[in-house]
Order: sequence, then structure tokens, then C-alpha cells
Amino acid sequence: MVTEIAEQYLKVVYNLTEEGGVAKTSDIAKAMDVAPASVTEMMQKLSRQGYVKHERYHGATLKPKGLKIARQVTRKHRLLERFLNDLCGIRGKARHDQACMMEHVLTDDAERQLCRMLNRPSECPHGKLIPKCERGIACEKCTNDTVRLVDLGEGDVGKVSHLASKDREELCRILAMGFVPGSEVRVEKKVPMGGPIIVSLKGTKIALAREIGSALHMVRA
Amino acid sequence: MEIALAGNPNVGKSALFSRLTGVGVISSNYPGTTVEFFEGRAKFMGTTITVIDLPGTYSLAGNTDDERVATNLLFERRPDTVIAVLDTTRLERNLVLLFELIESGYNVVASLNMFDAMRKSGRDVDVARLERILMIPAIPTVATKSEGIDSLLFTSAQLRGKSKFKVRYDSHIEGMIRELSGMLRQDDWQMPLRAVSLRLLTGDKRVVEKADPAAVKASETMRDRFLNEHGEDIVVHIERDRFGEAGRIANEVVGESGARKKKEGLVSDLTLKPATGIPILIAVLAAVFLVLVFVGGALEGFLVGAYTDAVRDPFDDFKDGLSSDIAKGAAEGLYLSVMAMLALVIPYILVFYIMLALLEDTGYLVRVVSLLDGVMHRLGLHGRAIIPMVVGFGCNVPAILATRAMGSKRERLILATLITIAVPCSAQTAIIIGTVGNYAGVTWALAIYLVLGATLVLLGFVLHKTIKFEPTGLFVEIPDLRTPSAAEVLKKTYLRIKEFLTIAFPLLLAGSIVLEMLMAEGILQQLVAPSEEFMMVVLGLPGLTVVALIFGILRKEMALQMLMVLFGTSNLALHLSSEQMFTFALVMAVFMPCLAAFAVMVKEFGVRSTALVTAGSITLAIIMGAASKVLLNL
Repeated sequence: MVTEIAEQYLKVVYNLTEEGGVAKTSDIAKAMDVAPASVTEMMQKLSRQGYVKHERYHGATLKPKGLKIARQVTRKHRLLERFLNDLCGIRGKARHDQACMMEHVLTDDAERQLCRMLNRPSECPHGKLIPKCERGIACEKCTNDTVRLVDLGEGDVGKVSHLASKDREELCRILAMGFVPGSEVRVEKKVPMGGPIIVSLKGTKIALAREIGSALHMVRA
Repeated sequence: MEIALAGNPNVGKSALFSRLTGVGVISSNYPGTTVEFFEGRAKFMGTTITVIDLPGTYSLAGNTDDERVATNLLFERRPDTVIAVLDTTRLERNLVLLFELIESGYNVVASLNMFDAMRKSGRDVDVARLERILMIPAIPTVATKSEGIDSLLFTSAQLRGKSKFKVRYDSHIEGMIRELSGMLRQDDWQMPLRAVSLRLLTGDKRVVEKADPAAVKASETMRDRFLNEHGEDIVVHIERDRFGEAGRIANEVVGESGARKKKEGLVSDLTLKPATGIPILIAVLAAVFLVLVFVGGALEGFLVGAYTDAVRDPFDDFKDGLSSDIAKGAAEGLYLSVMAMLALVIPYILVFYIMLALLEDTGYLVRVVSLLDGVMHRLGLHGRAIIPMVVGFGCNVPAILATRAMGSKRERLILATLITIAVPCSAQTAIIIGTVGNYAGVTWALAIYLVLGATLVLLGFVLHKTIKFEPTGLFVEIPDLRTPSAAEVLKKTYLRIKEFLTIAFPLLLAGSIVLEMLMAEGILQQLVAPSEEFMMVVLGLPGLTVVALIFGILRKEMALQMLMVLFGTSNLALHLSSEQMFTFALVMAVFMPCLAAFAVMVKEFGVRSTALVTAGSITLAIIMGAASKVLLNL
């Protein structure tokens, strides 16, 4: 477990070395808004703990142990920026500053949900790549935590996670019926012999063919 | 002044329309589509207001035919006011269409319909608050009980001014709207630029066609960028924001006082479960059949009796006054046509359509559709095809017209073919019951229905395999079971009967006049001798029956009487054995569609398809008749 400030430093080093090269002490100092001396001190400490490789007058690079933490923090930061930008409409420095504070308290589980809610964004609002998650399962698999509506049983309740329809008209039709991400759906009945699925959604019963039910991906409630 | 009614399906929009307008409703098809809409007039303080009932839709996006017609009508007619009819018990989902109407810059009045059901369910709506939030007038109404109608009309007629309410989309989308609006000029558009920009973003074809190429290009780039960044189509987010907003508003204005009652839950559930639903379906169909036989039969007896008593003698006098045989034949044809109207149309078709409208308006038919959808798919059809099929038991003309509700042209053609060939209309039923049922017994009659049922399934299956296509998936709201409104039932019945009277009846009339003239000249009888051999060898039937077959093309319901006249007795058993009657009735049931059905098919599907179906039905009828001859050893 590293301190919040250490996480902050590792993230900055990651940002500076993302496209190769080393992070110069002066650049780190500028990004963190601290004196170069404090940077040197912190770098030596992190170097002793095996997070970074630090060479005087040259700069710092991340060691695997540090890289892992830096990636995770950066990932949270960029996802949060995405969230603040897209859903809250916060721009500029305020967005960055708030993301900087939130990234340290966001749990891994919340991060995973945020990623899914934002639909696995690949870039932050500045256009930088969001590091892939370290969960060791493919992104596709991660969304497979969701089940298709057809695979839910009678009486099951789920929330729409996303729609996997390639046909734009069909997509619009499904949406207009109220199957928007986040809406709660209860499977009332699955009519046998390839019959439709009858669900309730926002107080209305809807019969939908199984093909449509396979385009709807749900998170079990 | 013009007012348009817009709303989701099943919100009581047409009931409201009937209440607003009264008699004199015109139904028309929107040019180039099969979507129907209604127009009527309402009187208000000495002025006449035209009221347009738009097709029920969930959105204005233009992704279905109904949506396109609704948006086009709104766009072309520019109604002074749009009444958004909302089902108050489902305020949340109904608000979304209202948002779109406001967004598109119409003067909107909300009609909070089914307000009584809301109160009954123990919930209440803070109407004043809703009005404040949406900045439009909202009038509680109960269309089925005529409550709030005057107030609604008054408000709609007076309304001037648009709501300033806006759905707030996520800031990303708002940014795009701002940017696109900057590229457009208000003078080019009849709707607010905000709506134009949103439609550009969702790729609405009609807006894209008209817009400046630069703006279109920009919107496409934005859409692609959005998809890349979010991994999700922009429409998903737009709709999510709309429903989100709707949910917030509904939460704010709907007070949940007391427990919600779930009264109709159980019955509704039983109709959807196959184990109970199928027996219920059979019971309902049996009830319909019994009502037809008893009520229809009683009505027929009464009407025909009264008609004969009143008209026969004066008519005979009139006929005797005519000089030529042809004129006499024509007069007789006229007389018989009116009688057929009284004997068939009023007792059977009318009663049947009233019952059908009742079943539809209670919400039961939608349940049948859902129940049978899976099975129908094997025939290459929708569950929805049930409705035209059931209509076909009355008369094939409205049934063929009802196939319009199906998705694709091919689907419609398959269905129309099945209906003309394998669904016996009331005239064919009369033949089956009148010959086989009367003389050969119920078992034989049932056997005919079984054979027809099997033909339906087999033919459907074969057509499904030969005409390749996938039926579009069922996607339909199931309304609660409810008490139908008399006005609505009558309106529906009226419209269906009107189709029969305006399309089928004139043809029947002309046909029967021609037939009687041919008979008077003895032309039809001349056909008997040359075809005698064919009928005997292939079908095992007496030569005279060929007249009934030909007669059947023009006047199916009269074929039976014709046969009796030809044999010179009303006891057909003297001339036909049970097996022969079976063959005869079967051939009549499958044999080519009557002239009226033929005409409607030509109108709907063109000459080529119709000729094909007709040739097919004749061939099939002869093959089936021949098979039945061989199997029954005639």
C-alpha cells in the first residue's frame, strides 16, 4: 500500500514516460507544483522501495512494481475525467483537479462499474489512452458479466447494460420502447415453442421476440 | 384551425378522438404507405376545428412506418396545437414522446388520460407541478367517460405559445447541439435548430437530405467520434437522457399514496400461459362461434323473413311488368343481392366484427398474438397474423386489407394467400354447414375444418420455405385487460363493414346481376354438359355442381341456394351422398377467391401475384377434390 502522495508521483512519472523516455526532475516538479528538491527526495524514497529507477541529473523511469500502481491510478484518473466531462459537464482545470482527488479513493470495484457504465472508453477527454484494466480477463469477457435478456429466467430482474444491435432502426425501436441502459426489466414469462418473452418495464408489459431479447444485454439485479 | 392527437399506442387516443369529433370521421391511408390515420371535425364556440388522429408511436424518430407518417403529417399539416395523449398510469414512458413534440417546436397540450385508473390505483399526479415543469397546460381526462374533453378542447383551441422546456442531454451532446446549431440557419427550417441538430446527430434521413452538407458532415464526424469514445451509439445516450429526465419528472409529480392494487394481474397472466391460455383461447373461439350460429342465425331468420314478406310481392309485380328476360334477370339479381346483404352481412359479418372489436379492445387479442407467435413463426408469419386470419372468417376483403399491419410485402402476400385459400369466410362456412353439416353430420363438417387447418399449416410451411425471408420479430406492448368502450367498438366495426360495403358489395351486386342475366338467357346451364365428364371423373360430382362452382366465384354465399334450385329440391341428400357433399364443400372452400377478394388482392398486390394465387387455389382445390374422391371411393 502506498500513500496518496506516492500514487500521485507515480502517476506523474507515468504520464511523462508514457511515450518513452525518462521523467526529468524539473518536469515532475512542474507537474506536481513543488520544488525540485522535494521531487528528488521523493524519487529516492520510491527508488529505495523499488517503484522507480532514479538516476541523478538524468531522471526517473518506472519499475514494474511502480508501473502497475501508476497504471491503475492513471486509469482511474482518466476514467473519472471521462465521467466528469461527459456526464457532469465539468471542464478545464476543475475537471482535472477533481479527478486527481477522486482517483485515490475510488475502489477497484467502482472503477470497474464506471468503466462499464461509460462503455469501456478508450481515451480520456484529452485524447490520451486509458490504460487497460489489470483484471486479467478480456474486455469482452468483462462485459460478459452481463447476460442476454433471453438467458434470464422467468421472474428474474435485471437492468439493461447495453444494446448489441447492429441494425440502427432496430436499435432505435428498442430504445423508443424504453429499453435504455439502466432501466429495470423483469422477465414475466417466456412463451414456449420459440414464442416471445414477456417482460415488464416501467409499469408496462411488453412482448418481444427472442432475437430482440438477444440484443439486450442485462446486469442481473 | 387544426389540432393533432399524438401519443403512444394503447393510451386511449382513439377513444379521445371519438369523443372530440363525433360522427363524420374519415380514415385515409397516408400516400405511399399502408398506415391509416383519421380525421374528423369538432365544433368549438361556433368554429369548426379539424382534428387529426396520428398513428400511435413511441417516438418521432421515423424508424417505423407509423413514426414516419406521424412526423410527416405533423410536418405537412402544421397543426396549430398538438395534443399529447398520455397514459397517466404510465407517465414516465409516455413523457418521452411529449419531450420530442416540445423539442420539435409544436404548441403542445398534455392530455393526462386514464386519470381515473390512476386514482383507482391509489396514486395521484400533481398536475400543477407538472404544468410548471413542462411549461405547458396539462388536462386530466378520462376519454372513455368523456371527462375533461371540453376543457381539453377549450385549452387546445386557445393555446398560443411554445414551451421553453428542454431535456438536458449530457454535456457532450449539448456541446454537439450547440456546434451544429451554429452551422444551421433558422430560416431554412420550420422547427427549432435544437431539434434539427439532434436529428442530424441521430441520422434522421429526412433531415440529413435537406441539411447543408457541411453540417451533415460535421454531424457524422461527431457521431463517429462519439461511438469511438463511448463505444455506444449516440442515440443510446440521447434516449437514455430522455428517459432519465422522464423518470425524474414522473418521480416528482406522482405521489404514491396507498398500496397499488393488482386486480387484473391474475387473469392477464392466465391468458399468457400456454397451459391455461390455449384452453381459454379455444373457449373464446367456441363462444364466438356459438354467438355467430345462434345470434346470427336468429337475426338472419328474422331479417330475411321480414324482407321477403315486405318486398317479395311488390317486387314480383314489378318484375312481371318488365318485358325482356334479361331485365327480369337483372331485377332478380338486385333482389337477391339485397337479400344476401340481410342474410349474411348484417347477421354474420356485423356480429362477427363487433365481437372481434370487443376482443381487440379488451386487450385479449394481443395476448393471443403473443401466445401463438412462436408457432406462427414456423409458418413464416408473425403472431400478429392471427388478427387478419380471424377477420377472414368474416369476409376475406377486410382480412386482406388487414394484412397491411404486417411488416413486409412478402409476409403480407403469404398471409393473404393463406387466408384466401385456407380460411373459410362466412359464405364458405355457410356452404360447409349448409351441405355437410346439415346432411352428412357434424363429423364430416369437422373433418373439413381439420383438412383446411392442415392445409393452412402445410401451405404456410411450404410458402415459408419457398419464399425466403425472416419474419420481423414481435415487439409489442401488452396493455392491461380493460373494459372496451362502446364508441370505439362501433367505430372499428363501422370501418370494417365499410370496407366490405364499399369494395365487396358493389362487386357482389354487379356479379349477381350478371349471373341472373346469364341464367335468364340459359347460358350458364349450357356449361353443364361439356364439363359433366370432368366433374364426374375428376371430382366424382354431378355435372350440375359446376354451375355452383362458377356461381361461387361471384356469389359464394348463393352457391348453396343455386345448387338447390338446380336440383329442384332443398333436400340435397337426394342427389349427393355424404362423401360427395364433403368433396363439394371442400372444393368450394379452397376454390378461387370470390370476385371481391380478387379485386382487393389486385389492388393490394398487383395482377401477377393475384393471378398466381388464384391459379394456385384452383389447382389446389381440384387436386384436393380429386384426392378426396379417390380416398372416399366416389
